[in-house]
Amino acid sequence: MKFWRSAQPQGLLLLAPALIVYGVFALYPMLNVVVLSFMRWNGLTADKVFVGLSNYAGILALDPVFWTAFRNTAIWTVLSIVFPPLVGFALALGLDQKIPWRTPLRALFYMPVIIAPIAVATMWRWMYDPFFGLFNAVLTSLGLQGVIQDWLGDGAVALYSVFVASVWQTAGFSMVLFLAGLQSVSKALVEASRIDGANAWQTFWHVRTPALRPTITIVLILSTINSLKAFDIVYGMTGGGPAQATQMLALWAFTQSMQLGDFGRGSAISVVLLLITLAIVIPYLQWALRREERVR
Amino acid sequence: MSGKWLRRLAASVAIVSAPATAQAQEIKFWTLSFDNPKMAKAFETIIHDFEAKNPGVTVQLENRGTDEHKSALRVAGGSDQAPDIYFMWAGLGLGGEFIKSGLALPMDKYYAQYKWDDEFIAPALSFSKQYSGGRYGLPFTFRGEAVYYNKALFEKAGISAPPTSYDDFVAAAEKLAKAGVPAFTFGGTVNWHVMRLMDEILEVQCGPEKHDALMAMKVNWADEPCATKSFEEMHKWTSKYFLKPFMGIDNNQAFNLFLAGRAAMMLEGNWLVGQLRNANKLADYGLFPFPGASRLYGFGEYNYISTKSKNPDIAAKFLDYLESTPVQQANVDLFGGPANVNKNVKSTSTEPLDLAWTKIFGQFNDVFVNGDQAFPLDVTTEYFRVINEVASDRLDPKAAAGELQKFIAARK
Amino acid sequence: MTALANPFRPAGSDRIDPVLVALWLVLIVVAALWIAPFLFIIFTSLKTNSTVMGASAFAPPTNPDWTNYAAAWTRGKFSTTVFNSAVITVVKVPLGLAISAMAAYVLSRIEFRGARAIFLLIVFGTMIPFQVLLAPLFTLVNGFGLINTKLGVILPYLAFGIPYQVFVLHGFFKELPRELSEAALIDGASHFSIFWRIFLPLSLPPLAALLILDFVATWNEFAMALVILQDNSTWTLPLGLMSFQSQFSRDYGQLNAAIVMTVLPATIVYMIFQRYFVSGLTAGAVKE
Repeated sequence: MKFWRSAQPQGLLLLAPALIVYGVFALYPMLNVVVLSFMRWNGLTADKVFVGLSNYAGILALDPVFWTAFRNTAIWTVLSIVFPPLVGFALALGLDQKIPWRTPLRALFYMPVIIAPIAVATMWRWMYDPFFGLFNAVLTSLGLQGVIQDWLGDGAVALYSVFVASVWQTAGFSMVLFLAGLQSVSKALVEASRIDGANAWQTFWHVRTPALRPTITIVLILSTINSLKAFDIVYGMTGGGPAQATQMLALWAFTQSMQLGDFGRGSAISVVLLLITLAIVIPYLQWALRREERVR
Repeated sequence: MSGKWLRRLAASVAIVSAPATAQAQEIKFWTLSFDNPKMAKAFETIIHDFEAKNPGVTVQLENRGTDEHKSALRVAGGSDQAPDIYFMWAGLGLGGEFIKSGLALPMDKYYAQYKWDDEFIAPALSFSKQYSGGRYGLPFTFRGEAVYYNKALFEKAGISAPPTSYDDFVAAAEKLAKAGVPAFTFGGTVNWHVMRLMDEILEVQCGPEKHDALMAMKVNWADEPCATKSFEEMHKWTSKYFLKPFMGIDNNQAFNLFLAGRAAMMLEGNWLVGQLRNANKLADYGLFPFPGASRLYGFGEYNYISTKSKNPDIAAKFLDYLESTPVQQANVDLFGGPANVNKNVKSTSTEPLDLAWTKIFGQFNDVFVNGDQAFPLDVTTEYFRVINEVASDRLDPKAAAGELQKFIAARK
Repeated sequence: MTALANPFRPAGSDRIDPVLVALWLVLIVVAALWIAPFLFIIFTSLKTNSTVMGASAFAPPTNPDWTNYAAAWTRGKFSTTVFNSAVITVVKVPLGLAISAMAAYVLSRIEFRGARAIFLLIVFGTMIPFQVLLAPLFTLVNGFGLINTKLGVILPYLAFGIPYQVFVLHGFFKELPRELSEAALIDGASHFSIFWRIFLPLSLPPLAALLILDFVATWNEFAMALVILQDNSTWTLPLGLMSFQSQFSRDYGQLNAAIVMTVLPATIVYMIFQRYFVSGLTAGAVKE
């Protein structure tokens, strides 16, 4: 019995703490949320009643906010996949050149990433203040009074106002990944293509971009996952308002459970968001594993 | 150096050994954050005096913003970390929710022991009697809400006397608009602020009985013409007579703008007198009840003892001390002034705004509470949403009552 | 800084490229936009309410009002929240790294049935937005009686930190030569001592990078703390700021002073350990 002689018990001991904590505090809640989504429970009393699919029917058919939150989450995800990576890519391209102050500029663009999202929310909420905030003051002094908005109070623009703050916070993240990717493109390859008579654009398009493909994939995947996590910044800037116009699935699930005391509906919303996440993430996981096998 | 060190050591030994002589008992008291620094000071003194009279007892005060306080209590209700005493609005939709969920302790025993029924004014006590399971909570304050106005701006618009009927009121708003002055300032991010105007308009348009039936969800909102009319009136105010923009600011910001003379009126409670006093602006403002409403808009604020309290007797003793005549009389301006809940307490203020409140409290026999205190939580959330949709021109006011009814009908 | 030797000159050329100069100017302008929020917040934090309401929003304060900081410090109970955040971070980050490293070692170096499945199960966790699980997490922590305790947030923090750390360290350990552990095993060393004596010292660079990333993540975490830490004596820095915003938003100078004080610690750490941030980010994502 090689099993008990040496490696296994030791391995088990080393593995156990991580496995237990992860199992209890990450996997179990994920299973529990599914169970709770079939219950009626106010979170306060002991009685939970099994109600079948009625929570799902409730959110899908009767809840006037669910589909707004669903739509906003979709819009937010798409925007998050497009804009922060684009800005980050542009910044990375620029900061990959031989220009002065390269390092401090990189540091500056990355800085918002390390600030607490709730602090970013508070900062931007103040900047968006319609009376004394930065934006409207700048617009007024430029003579652009017509452009002035109630940035966070107008349901038609509020989601995008919050998103701009999010771009400011997250673009640096994509930038750093792209910079790393750009630097990994072999100098020799670039040099060779130049000698072959390719102009800068051709070099960029035919040599550097293909080499960046893995980086691009990773940035897009991480942006997707992070966008589904959007909670703090919305909570801090609008709380889902005005009139639920910036409500998101994660925040609405929280509101239903923790503020309105309907754990069943809250859990059902969580399950919907989990399913969406899995639908996006599982293909990625398969891709990542194939890639790892290849590397091996 | 070493002498100081020794003294410190001795002091810490004393602290460590103190619980041995007297049973250490801690009362946790969760309440709202005080918008007035004097209130914080007053509570400090009250707690200090109470602790001195009751050795071994400590009272720990925890303050939160309005919405945080509500959600913290909800969470506390489900955990074993609840406070001993908590502040809550006494209406069925707020205080009542926590009573329904079992967080509040019936206090009949203490009502008998401390003879509280002889000590409080009747309208304030009424909120403790609305439940079948017993008496819950003890009155803390009684709040009335009315319209504060900027005297100079009224004068500028040529309004000589406060309006007394709803039509006069709209006419006054129109005059203000003509003079380039927005009538009202509200903060839309805290949903309950704009809601106040809707509540008042419903009271005016539907009358007390119908309004109560609507809030109790006993009649169909969509079938009541007065409900639809109210949303239309509401939209008239938000579109023509509000300081804009208002959806992106909170009530605090609105108050700053009111102080700065950017709008003529605010629909606020009697607590605003204290805030105006702190800002040294008392003389600039006047007060009148919402024109056309036959009842006073207001609510009771209560302190409840929690079922999770390990020392409910001491909690009750503290509440009795807090509401006692000497303590209330000493802080009368802070605890409601002319609207103090203790019937033995007399307001000494000669301040015109306080006198105006005394008059208003004497003028009405009946009270209707704020919408978020009348509705259950989920309906309140939807009520907020519908009002905000109308206020920001995203929902036709004609369809608003139907929208709200749709939600009410779909509830489990 | 090596680029500074010949700025604006593309590789293989010694002439200044005007396109690069233009690009640089654009970047400077964008950088000014990027830094504007910070300046605006700092300026406002030094103004009185009447200055904020009366004067131009982006004017620097003429006579700085430093009292906002002291007032916000007391009102926002910063001494409590900074302390709580510090304790939670100091306990959670090293502990999390230790158990992740142990697990990563086992999964990359000891062969046993199910290792692959366990690894996949853990990596799966990197994809799960825990924001979705706030209510069941609250129920769970409450079930353990840990609401309003530091342990009550540390345990879920650990659980949601493990996946990414295991993923990164697993990748790193895999690339270390096999002979390293095999030789030691033949010499009779236990896995504990191989992990402790050989692997841990070798993995200091990725550990440093993960340490710094985890510090920031833990320090800034808001949503989980929001549901688990209800008692304001247990609040962390982000919770304190949110509460400040909802209670004292009238006092513009103090609000902005509170923002500055919340943001400052992480910013200082970032300035000092800048290099590691980048390597930590790229370690897991792009290893080439």
